[in-house]
Amino acid sequence: MLVAVCLATVLPFWWMLSTSLKSANVVFDLSPLPTAPTFENYVQMWRAIPMASMLVNTFLNAGLLMVGQVIVATMAAYAFARWRFRGDNLLLVLFVGTWLVPFQVTMLPNYVLLSRLGWLDTLAALVVPHLGSAFAVIMLRQFMKSFPLELVEAARLDGAGSWAILWRMMVPNLRAPLATLAILSFISTWNEYFWPLLVTSRPDRTVVQVGLQMFLSSDGEQWGPLMAAATVATVPVLLVYVLFQRQVVEAFVRSGLR
Amino acid sequence: MLLTAVWVYWPMLRTLQLSFYEWNLLPTRDPVWLGLSNYAQLLRQPEVSRAVLNSALYIVGLVPFTICIPVVLALALGRVRAPAERVYRALMFLPVLMAPVVSAIVWRWIMNPNAGILNALLQSVGIGPVDWFRTPNVALWAITVITGWKLLGFSTLIVWAGLTNINREYLEAAVIDGATSWQRLRFVIAPLLSPTLVFMLLLTVLLSGQLTFPIINALTQGGPRDTTTNIYYLLWQFGFESFNVGLSSAAGVLFFGGFLILAVGLMRLVDRLSFHDA
Repeated sequence: MLVAVCLATVLPFWWMLSTSLKSANVVFDLSPLPTAPTFENYVQMWRAIPMASMLVNTFLNAGLLMVGQVIVATMAAYAFARWRFRGDNLLLVLFVGTWLVPFQVTMLPNYVLLSRLGWLDTLAALVVPHLGSAFAVIMLRQFMKSFPLELVEAARLDGAGSWAILWRMMVPNLRAPLATLAILSFISTWNEYFWPLLVTSRPDRTVVQVGLQMFLSSDGEQWGPLMAAATVATVPVLLVYVLFQRQVVEAFVRSGLR
Repeated sequence: MLLTAVWVYWPMLRTLQLSFYEWNLLPTRDPVWLGLSNYAQLLRQPEVSRAVLNSALYIVGLVPFTICIPVVLALALGRVRAPAERVYRALMFLPVLMAPVVSAIVWRWIMNPNAGILNALLQSVGIGPVDWFRTPNVALWAITVITGWKLLGFSTLIVWAGLTNINREYLEAAVIDGATSWQRLRFVIAPLLSPTLVFMLLLTVLLSGQLTFPIINALTQGGPRDTTTNIYYLLWQFGFESFNVGLSSAAGVLFFGGFLILAVGLMRLVDRLSFHDA
């Protein structure tokens, strides 16, 4: 039964790949294996949409956010975990609240703001608004809170300032959650569609997910090239998965179990 | 010391500022002050009640995929030895990684009424071709299945992790006491798994709207005849397609409030329903 489920799980992937390798006249044929595999779909797709720039954009977007979110969250979590100040609980609640807000509610005001800043169609527009990841901060805060106090005390006695404590002591110990965050951040940013759709309009400035949608809505669905584009869009994430399989799975599980 | 204060405050302010990117509801609320009439208008529209109904249906529809089937699969996984177990887990998890847009596209191809493989398979057993996305009552379930497919690996993994946390000794004691498989399941596993299951329930209720949204947007745009909209999609439509910002913001505030109440209520329920070890 597990086998059946796994088959059902993998089938769409396989189907996507095999369709992308079939030439136009064979596309509607239902055989599971492409009888005469061809790369013409990939060529066609490459010519139709600026896939190269889109891939670069997507990589930059995901990569920058991955690094950015981790850094910002580390510092913010440290502040929330170790500093007592007036209204820190209120701030925390406000912060957590942002997580619950549906994207559709904030998208318009954000768009207006970006437009006024002149940031539309730039990488900044894609990256900056998402640097503050409530989820990341919450998760890191939990870990930082449970960091043994004696070590912090000892370091303070040795004259270490807060900055040093954070970066030289805590961070090396937090490698696992940080890796978790990095992976989650990369994957979810890569797969992100609506925000890029909103803030970018030029095909060569957008990300692959939007590019795919463009392909879909152009007249006459060309399934071959579309599947080729879909495959190309999915391959990087799959690569990450293959390379870091254990960490990826652990990342998702840990995020679920908090 | 001052420097470190600055450096610690700066990221916090930064994240706060960024969260203000998200909170900035006010500027778009009606240059023309319509007061509460937006809210009134909202509640009067039929699409809203349909969207709410659909959202509830999605939640119900997704539960088998986030709780029922994963439990079965997780139990089955528990019985398989590694390395097979790792292979199964790895494969099952794949759909989670697929971008929503990509999955929508691929499934659209699979469910294509004329050329799709799904209908072809069904026809070979005598079920007529189904237009999955344009038949009113079917479309919603099609979307549910697609979203469920995406979630299955994730849910199974979490349930499986929950299962492995159950202390072996309880189960062994049960076996010694002569409990059958079914009894073990009912009296030992189920209660100890309940925090995990309740968590999955929470996730399903709160996130089903968000998770189905990209699929709805790509595949049916809320149709046919409003049978697949959910409240998130409605928000999107108000904001984007009618450009009625006031209405969209009002709807947003309403739904957010609703969700907040729901979330708080569910959190309280979580504590009541779960049975913790010791």
